[in-house]
Amino acid sequence: MSSENSTDANSFRPWHLFVIAGLVASTLGVVVVRPGDAVVLVIFVAAIGSAAGVGFALYRTLWPLVATDFIKHTEIVGVRTRAAIDREKTLVLRSIKELEFDRAMGKVSDTDFQLMDRRLRAHALALMKQLDVSMPGYRDVIEQELAQRLAIDLQSDDIQVDRVIKADRLVCASCGTENDTDAKFCKGCAASLVEAE
Amino acid sequence: MATIGSYTLLAAFIACAYAIAASVAGARRRSLRLVESGVGAFYTVTALMTLASSIIIHAFVTENYTIRYVDRYSDSVQPLFYKLTSYWGGLDGSIMFWVFLLSVFGAIAVKANRERQRELIPYVVAVIGAVQLFFLFVMIVHKDPFATYLTETPVDGRGLNPLLQNPYMAIHPPSLYTGFVGMTIPFAFGMAALITGFLDDSWLRAVRRWTMFSWLFLSLGLTLGMIWAYEELGWGGFWGWDPVENAGALPWFTATAFLHSVMVQERRSMLRIWNVTLVILTFFLTIFGTFMTRSGIVQSVHAFGEDAELTLLFSVFMVIILVFSFGWVIYRLPLLRARNELESWASREAAFLLNNWILLFAAFFILFATMFPTISEAFTGQRITVGPPFFNTWMVPIGLVLLLLTGIGPLLAWRKSTLSNLVYQFVWPMGVAVATAVGLSAIGFRVWVSGLCFALCAFVLGTISQEFVRGAGVRRGATGTDIVTALVGLIMRSRRRYGGYVVHIGIVLMFLGFAGAGYKLETQALMNPGDEVELGQFLVRYERVSETDDGQKQMVTGHMTIFKDGQAAGELFPARWFFRKHETEPTTEVAIRRSLSEDLYITLATYDLADQSAAFQITVNPLVNWIWFGFAIMALGTGLALLPESSLAFVSAKVPAGAATTSLVLVSVLLGGMGATAKAQIAVPDGAELGADQQRLEAELQDELVCVCGSCSHLPLSTCTCATATDMRLRLNNQVAMGKDRDGVYQHFIDTYGSQEPIGAPIGTFNQLSWFFPMLVGGVCLVGVGFVALRWSRRDSELQALQVSVSADDQDQQLEARLDDELRKLD
Repeated sequence: MSSENSTDANSFRPWHLFVIAGLVASTLGVVVVRPGDAVVLVIFVAAIGSAAGVGFALYRTLWPLVATDFIKHTEIVGVRTRAAIDREKTLVLRSIKELEFDRAMGKVSDTDFQLMDRRLRAHALALMKQLDVSMPGYRDVIEQELAQRLAIDLQSDDIQVDRVIKADRLVCASCGTENDTDAKFCKGCAASLVEAE
Repeated sequence: MATIGSYTLLAAFIACAYAIAASVAGARRRSLRLVESGVGAFYTVTALMTLASSIIIHAFVTENYTIRYVDRYSDSVQPLFYKLTSYWGGLDGSIMFWVFLLSVFGAIAVKANRERQRELIPYVVAVIGAVQLFFLFVMIVHKDPFATYLTETPVDGRGLNPLLQNPYMAIHPPSLYTGFVGMTIPFAFGMAALITGFLDDSWLRAVRRWTMFSWLFLSLGLTLGMIWAYEELGWGGFWGWDPVENAGALPWFTATAFLHSVMVQERRSMLRIWNVTLVILTFFLTIFGTFMTRSGIVQSVHAFGEDAELTLLFSVFMVIILVFSFGWVIYRLPLLRARNELESWASREAAFLLNNWILLFAAFFILFATMFPTISEAFTGQRITVGPPFFNTWMVPIGLVLLLLTGIGPLLAWRKSTLSNLVYQFVWPMGVAVATAVGLSAIGFRVWVSGLCFALCAFVLGTISQEFVRGAGVRRGATGTDIVTALVGLIMRSRRRYGGYVVHIGIVLMFLGFAGAGYKLETQALMNPGDEVELGQFLVRYERVSETDDGQKQMVTGHMTIFKDGQAAGELFPARWFFRKHETEPTTEVAIRRSLSEDLYITLATYDLADQSAAFQITVNPLVNWIWFGFAIMALGTGLALLPESSLAFVSAKVPAGAATTSLVLVSVLLGGMGATAKAQIAVPDGAELGADQQRLEAELQDELVCVCGSCSHLPLSTCTCATATDMRLRLNNQVAMGKDRDGVYQHFIDTYGSQEPIGAPIGTFNQLSWFFPMLVGGVCLVGVGFVALRWSRRDSELQALQVSVSADDQDQQLEARLDDELRKLD
């Protein structure tokens, strides 16, 4: 999203500016107005603080419209989809556990259990296959999706090419496992992927 | 300051409109830039509303009476705490507070789900934005909280209504609003799912926590309202079926239904249309409740007064909601078809269906009975008053059935319970229930209603304890630990299920409290210093009455000494407070001696400072504290279910969290109903001497006729302590003494007050027909449920075969092995 997600720890981020502006404005405001008691002071500062918040939110509204490097700041679609599948897999595994528990509690008959268990397992296996990077197909899906999304943004031709090539390079040099595009280490053999790039 | 405030609201309106436009355009053109910009504008609304809230609170604290709203709802002597809470004390401010809460919740929900529910977010922003837009519009064109006086600034404000100057009342509205407003989030996600067509279960995941959270606050709000009524209104009860209370209970019922039926969808992919409908209904009812309270279409203790323009605005908005949301449901019907079928009535799905039907019926019944005076006025020109006895007649059985289902539900297996299975599950809970019932009747308890309620409570507790014990046993077998570790592990692993059971325990405790009301004792006494009154185990001695003043109010306090079983048990000080500028509406400050088994509850009715005589209403309320205690347990259970489990929360949920729902319904039910059994007849001073038959008629009619003063939520004459009720009792006494029969007396009251409605004996064809309407609707819905179930059960084997075949072609052994491995590690 916005630069608040930037990985560069040293960069000065927009919200810093608004926090500082808010603090300065509160200080000035308190000096000028000199609120009588503590409660009024707190509320007064809260008002100025929320005004600073308004400033930042406005920035947050306009930035995506005008920023030239907007796409760079948004994460790659494939990664998120992958995370979603991973989450779903965990959920399905949990469901299987729950089902086993229910059978042990006498809440599900054996025939039903087998039927439902088989269905859930099939679902889990399908998800595992999808997740399994060595399986062909998943990559294509990502690339397709990526190309589709990027193609929408008319200004992003260069970036599109850049991304696809990058995705190509994410095969680990030591073990051949494919990794997420932003991975720093291989999930198969833990070799550093930064070097590999 | 006021100008800045008005402009802030205007800016919020513009930002909100932009957020809607940008998100929808972004989603349709698939432009991430526009969507992100829309989300930014959405956050801008939150920031602007925070700013507007700070400004109005600042105005209250700095006593800026140029702003009308500040002038009307605060004054300089008010303690700081109540100055802050005056923010939501009136109509204009409460609308602004509403938008503020909605913007904060919306921002949190959007931020939290921005990544996970990418496709939905633009529409979520648009839907929440549309709701905000409506309320902002209302403020800008009609109810600007920042409106100022054009001339002559008042020196001091008029002060907050004294009844609201009570700590419970200060936090009751925000809690209720939190519940109401929170229900907008599930609605927004539901609508977004409908609009985008992503109708798998993922939107439910995003929504369940919000629903639980809102449900908890709704319950808290209702409970606080009960405590407030109990402590502040001084009529000895806690739920009077006041329209505004009912408005809060309505979405509670539908949300409870949703929390339950969502489990069916997660587990069995059924009820998909129904769940979307429930989410829409719940949201609609929150808006409808707001409308009812604020438009003045119903009379109530805490309605804000009549307002035709607001009525129009809200009506238009509600029609738009219904058309828009159900339009989408119909459009998406093909995607919403159930994927499974109901195989047996002895299954948990069926129990949930039944539970949903009853909850919905309860909501509908309350809605109908609450609106009945308005409907009847529109058709017959006569405003009928519907009192607690009518509600209780219906809601007590409904509550008991729900309590029964609370016990049965967890025992049934999904899909189908076999006979041996049923026997295995039911023996212990049934045993406990029967033993309780027999034990109670042996020592002389009434079977109906309280005895039955106690037995059902025992049944539910039996069920829940069996669930815990067997579950721990299974887990111990699986993990090989001791029973306590197994129990803790069990609860931690499936928090939603066991959190739900804990909520059920809370419900049971609340029901105990309700049932206790059946054994309530009350008396009224005119006393002189030194006089004593005996009630149950208590002996109350009246000492004196005194008068003091603290600058904000004048306080008249009675001094009583209490003896329990002959032992001195402290002093109580019932009082009446006369707030400055509100001298005509003194508040009743109830004195309560609390204990787990019963409350001694004394109110000061009238007094004479000169000769030190005073009249008191003295009540012993058995078990009433279990209601508040039950709520605490309920909150604990909901908290347990809400504990972050990250992704696990969704999966492990299947059974429980929704269970809590049942409870709420019950709560509302029980309150009024059970208390009604032990009404004392109030003697009428200066009344005529009556024969035995006439006395009996008078006593019956005191229970049936309700007070019409408009400030006591229409209590029966035998309960209400206000001046109007005193007049009405005298009138009743005269009518009976004149030899009139029941119908004659009713007719007289209708002619005089234009509003009386006896239970079961309505007068006039229209009213009679109307009473049958809820029954008709309930019956039709039941038939509908049966029909749907039947259709499901016929649409069988094809789907089944399909599902099996999918799993059959998995031949990847390696993957299977890995799956088993992961499952082992998962625990």
